[in-house]
Amino acid sequence: MRIFWIKCFFAIFFIAIFARLFYWQIVKADYLQIQAEDQHFTDVKIEASRGNIFFSDGSILASSNPSFLLFGQPKLLTKEQTVNTAYSLAKLLVPPDREVSDLAKEFINKLSQDLFWVVLEKQITPEKKQEIEDLKLPGIGFEQGSSRFYPEGSSSAHILGFVGSDSKSESRGYFGVEGYYDGELKGVAGLLRHEKDASGLPILIGNFFNTDAKNGKDLSLNIDRSVQFIVEQSLKAGIEKYGAKSASAVVMDPKTGAVLALAAYPNYDPGNYTKYPKEYFKDPVVADTYEPGSTFKVLVISAALNEKVVTPETTCDACVGPVSVGGYDLRTWDNKYFPNTSMTDVIIHSDNTGMVFAGKKLGSDKLYNYIENFGFGQASNIDLQDAADTTIRPKTDWREIDLATASFGQGIAVTPIQMVTAVSAIANGGNLMEPHVVKQIKDGNSTFEIKPKVIRPVISPDTAKVITEMMVQAVDKGEASWYKEHGGVANFKIAGKTGTAQIPVAGHYDSTKTIASFVGFAPADDPKFVILVRYDQPTASIFGAETAAPTFFEIAKQLFNYYKIVPTE
Amino acid sequence: MTIIKKFEPEQPKNNFPKKYIALVVGVLFVLTLTQIWVSNIVIMYGEKFDKLAILQKSLLTQNQILKNEIAKDASLSNISSKSGQLGFSNNISIEYIR
Repeated sequence: MRIFWIKCFFAIFFIAIFARLFYWQIVKADYLQIQAEDQHFTDVKIEASRGNIFFSDGSILASSNPSFLLFGQPKLLTKEQTVNTAYSLAKLLVPPDREVSDLAKEFINKLSQDLFWVVLEKQITPEKKQEIEDLKLPGIGFEQGSSRFYPEGSSSAHILGFVGSDSKSESRGYFGVEGYYDGELKGVAGLLRHEKDASGLPILIGNFFNTDAKNGKDLSLNIDRSVQFIVEQSLKAGIEKYGAKSASAVVMDPKTGAVLALAAYPNYDPGNYTKYPKEYFKDPVVADTYEPGSTFKVLVISAALNEKVVTPETTCDACVGPVSVGGYDLRTWDNKYFPNTSMTDVIIHSDNTGMVFAGKKLGSDKLYNYIENFGFGQASNIDLQDAADTTIRPKTDWREIDLATASFGQGIAVTPIQMVTAVSAIANGGNLMEPHVVKQIKDGNSTFEIKPKVIRPVISPDTAKVITEMMVQAVDKGEASWYKEHGGVANFKIAGKTGTAQIPVAGHYDSTKTIASFVGFAPADDPKFVILVRYDQPTASIFGAETAAPTFFEIAKQLFNYYKIVPTE
Repeated sequence: MTIIKKFEPEQPKNNFPKKYIALVVGVLFVLTLTQIWVSNIVIMYGEKFDKLAILQKSLLTQNQILKNEIAKDASLSNISSKSGQLGFSNNISIEYIR
C-alpha cells in the first residue's frame, strides 16, 4: 500500500512538473521570450544628426552643437544631499538675471518629488558639463543631445527659421528653410541592439543587430553671405535713420531666380528664439502682403507696351488734372499735373493720372491677365515655410475704380517676393522665374541641384528693353535722382522705381502712414541683381524716394564693388 | 640446423588505428579548450569595446565643437567686429580709374 501511495505521489509530482513546463514552454513561451530578450538585450537609439545649412560659398550658416540634458534621481538622494546638490548646481548654472538661492530652491523642489527621474536643466554646454562632473555630485546624470548652432547669430534669421520641439518632444524645424526642408534636414534615427552581460556591458560574441542612423541632408543656399551682410548692415542703418516700424529687403539674381540675400527687421536670434515675440518669426518678405504703390506702375506700363496700346512717346490727353472714376477723384501724389505728358514722363513723375490713362488703354481683362502672368494672386513657390498665398478678386468683381487704382498699385495686395520676382522678369528679358533659396541638397556623396525654372514668358525681350530704359530715366530724372547723384552710384546705369503706398486703416487710407519702397536692378543693360527695399511706416519721411531709394543706392554701391562692376556712364 | 616456422592465424588489420582516433579527439579537445579560452577573453573585451565607443563619441563631439568654434570665428559678424577694433572701416568713396 505504501508503495502505491509513493507511486501516486511521484506520478502527481511529474504531472505537475510537466504541466508547469507546458505552461512555460508552450502557453507563455512568447511572453517569456520577450522578457528574456529584454533582460539580455539592450537597445540604443542612434540619433540622426540634423543636416547643416551652408551659404553659397560653403561657410556654415547652421549646424548642430552637442549639448546635454542634466537630470536628477530624487530616490537616490538624502535630504542633506538634495540641498547640497541643488546649491552646488545653482552656483554653476545661475543665469545673470537670477539669484543663486532662487535657482537652488527650484532644484530642491524638483529633487524632492516622488520620482525616479527629473529634468533639472536643458542645453548644458560640454564645458559646463565638465565643471559639474568635477564636483562629483550624487544623484545626477547627463543625457547627450544636440542643439542648433548659428555661427552668424541673428543674421539670416528669417531665411533660416529655427528648430524647436513638436508635441512628441522631437526636434522640428519651424519657419524659413528649417521649416520648409525639415523632412530633408532631420534624417532618420537608427537602432543598435546587442546582448549585454550582468554589468550591462556589451557581449561581443553575442547577437548584434544594427540599423544605421541616416543623417539629415545638407543644404547649400543661393544666399551669398557677403551680399547678405551688406543688405543687413544697410537695412539696419536705414530702419534707425528713417524711424520705420519695420523694414525688409531682398536681392535676387534675375536670370536664375536665386535669392542672393533676404533680410528683415525686427529680427530674432534663431538660437534663442524663445526670448522673442512670436510676431518676429514670420518672414515679411514672403508672408506679408502690402499695396505696392508706384513700384507697380512699371509692370502695368510694361503690359501696355507689350500689348502695343502705348509707346514710350504716347501722350496722355487726360493728364490735365484729377481724373474722375466711378465717383472718385484720382490725383497725383503731389497734386501737380503735366498735360500731354509722355508715358516715359508718367513713369519719371510717377503720375497716377497717366497710369489711369494707360490702364484704360489696356483694359481690365488684359491688365488682369498680366497681373496673373506676373505671378500675383498665386503662390510664389519659394522654398520658405509660411509663404503667403495672395488672392486677387475675381475678374468679374472688378469695377472701373479697381482698374484705375490697380494701374498705380493701390487696391491690390502683393508680397515683396512676388514683387521682386515680377521685376526680375523685366530685368531678364521677359521670363518669370521661380524664386529659390536653396541651390543644392547634399545627401552623402550625391547632390541634387535645384535648377533655375522659367515659369512663363510674360513680356517680349523688346518690351523688356523699352521698359528698362524708362526705369533708367525714372532713376536719373525722377524724385530719387538726387540720392543717386550723391549716393556713390552716379556713373552706373540703374533701372528702378520708387513707391509710396498709403496703408488702408479701418476702410480708408491714412495719408501719414505709408509703405515706402524702391525696386530696381543694375547694371540696367546686363542686370546682375534686382533689389527691393521696403520700409513700413517710416517717420523721417513718408516717401519711398527719400527713404527706400537711398538704402537701395547704398546696397547697390557696395554690390558694384563686391561684384567688380565698373561704371558705364 | 632446422628452422621451425611457427604459423599463427593472421589478425585482421584495423582500418581506424587507435592513434588516429586519439589524435582527432585530442585536436577536438584542444579546439574546445581554445574556443572556451577565446570566448572568455572576448567576453572580457566588452568593457574595452564600451570604452572605445565612449571615446569615439567624445572625439566626435569635440570635433563638432571645434568645427563650430571655427565657424563662429570665421563669421562675417565676428570679422566685421574684429576689423573695426583694428581700425578698418567701410570704403566711403570709391574712385574708378578708366
